[in-house]
Amino acid sequence: MMENAAPMVKITNIHKVFAQNLHVLCGINLEVAKGETVVILGASGSGKSTLLLFINFLEEPTAGTVEVDGTAIHAGEDDKTRENHILEIRKKTGMCFQSFNLFPHMTALENIIEGPTTVLGQKKKQAILYAEELLDWVGLNDKRNEYPSRLSGGQQQRVAIARSLAMKPKVMLFDEPTSALDPELVGEVVDVMERLAKEGMTIIAVTHEMHFAWDVADRVLIMDEGNWIEEGTPEEIFYNPKEKRTQQFLAHIL
Amino acid sequence: MKAKTMHPGTGGIPPEAQQVLQQIETEKSKYKRNMIIAFVVLILFMITTLVILGLDFKFMAKWLPFILAGSGYTFLVAFLAISLACILAVVGALGRLSKNPIFNSIATSYVSLIRGTPLLVQVYMWYLALPQIGKALEAYGIPGVQRLFTLPAVPAGILALGVCYGAYMTETVRAGIQSIKIGQTEAAKALGMNKTQTMKRIIFPQALRVIIPPVSNEFIAMIKDSSLVSLMGVWELSYRAIKVGRRHFQSLEMLIMVAFIYWIMCMVLQFVQEKIEKYMARGDRRIS
Repeated sequence: MMENAAPMVKITNIHKVFAQNLHVLCGINLEVAKGETVVILGASGSGKSTLLLFINFLEEPTAGTVEVDGTAIHAGEDDKTRENHILEIRKKTGMCFQSFNLFPHMTALENIIEGPTTVLGQKKKQAILYAEELLDWVGLNDKRNEYPSRLSGGQQQRVAIARSLAMKPKVMLFDEPTSALDPELVGEVVDVMERLAKEGMTIIAVTHEMHFAWDVADRVLIMDEGNWIEEGTPEEIFYNPKEKRTQQFLAHIL
Repeated sequence: MKAKTMHPGTGGIPPEAQQVLQQIETEKSKYKRNMIIAFVVLILFMITTLVILGLDFKFMAKWLPFILAGSGYTFLVAFLAISLACILAVVGALGRLSKNPIFNSIATSYVSLIRGTPLLVQVYMWYLALPQIGKALEAYGIPGVQRLFTLPAVPAGILALGVCYGAYMTETVRAGIQSIKIGQTEAAKALGMNKTQTMKRIIFPQALRVIIPPVSNEFIAMIKDSSLVSLMGVWELSYRAIKVGRRHFQSLEMLIMVAFIYWIMCMVLQFVQEKIEKYMARGDRRIS
């Protein structure tokens, strides 16, 4: 691990309060180094997906600071550069959702070039060249002209990963990318994620996919009721969980 | 699209299954045949009714070109009014969904006011009452307003229909936009799109699919409501038919004829609608 380099993602003292008695996240801190793969585990409703959505500001934290690759945003601060900073962070982060969220009115290829052409202003030809490379990389070159409705869940998620990668992000966020998949389709998506991790992408993944955590995670973090309760390497967490709640949680999913 | 071939296990399809498939096929063609027979009978029935009523077909043929000449106005008014209505509907829907209190309240009261008053009253408002407003404004020292506000019948009709239908369609468009799942917005945002790009590239094209059938409905209704401009003395389809029918005491012939002309125009529109819908559904699971 690169201990000394400046962190790629730095979350400082993040709070999320929905109402007086609904304190979802309570002062969370997280630092992720460049090239690191972090897996976040936790029971449903523990706040882990919400935390992920803060990193690219799809959800607004109530308090705290988010910094991605040197661009920092403070919650609640309201100045003119804020909107631009948010867009800047979103361009640097790719995100994959549990329900894929491919654009149904576009083919696989069109989905992938949408970001580069609309957001980055690339020429269509140039975007298509890179999109074809990405389709090859996720193993779906023969599906380039298919609409999402004609693809299996696993294929859709792989297109979604390619769509994020087309923006050449510095960080990839995965929000339970395999939870909506049939069991036999999980492998193909995990395989792509693992290759991504091995190529040095910085990854923060909320997932219950233990193979992924075991194979490529540098760190596993356990969240419960809006707080970290344990952190360590996959070996430490899976073989030697210290906290009782971690043990209970792992007993449920393993 | 590439054809997909299924590979069933070994041995191919058993004869029982073959029989069932054949049965389904014959049922289908039977159903189709019966439908055609039903339609033909219905049309024959209508024609006989017309003959029994003793319609003067010669009279109808004689006046057909004169009546048809009014269809130009009908189309002109309907087409321009629906274009205006579409623009107002998109702006109105954005207003209804806007967090800006001024924009939102204007859009909301527009929809409420226009939907809450009869179209007939609105037509007269644009035609007869607007000049009076101009006159009042002129009294406050704005020169030339009265002349500007005194509209000829056709523009007044287009404005009345466009503004009225725009209000109804605002709600259609709003509902269409709201029907798109939040995940689509999130995915667009996650790519770094701003609000305009998200709306233009992701939300609106998908909403359009939902909107097309009700908007076609509105357009078809508009074709017929365009006959309201006859109130202001525009010689469009229905106005001509009624005039001729009254003068020769043969209203039945003229009314049936003009009804048929409207019907045919609307059938053409329906055909166009089906084509558009088919295109819009290209990303769907099933396209036959």
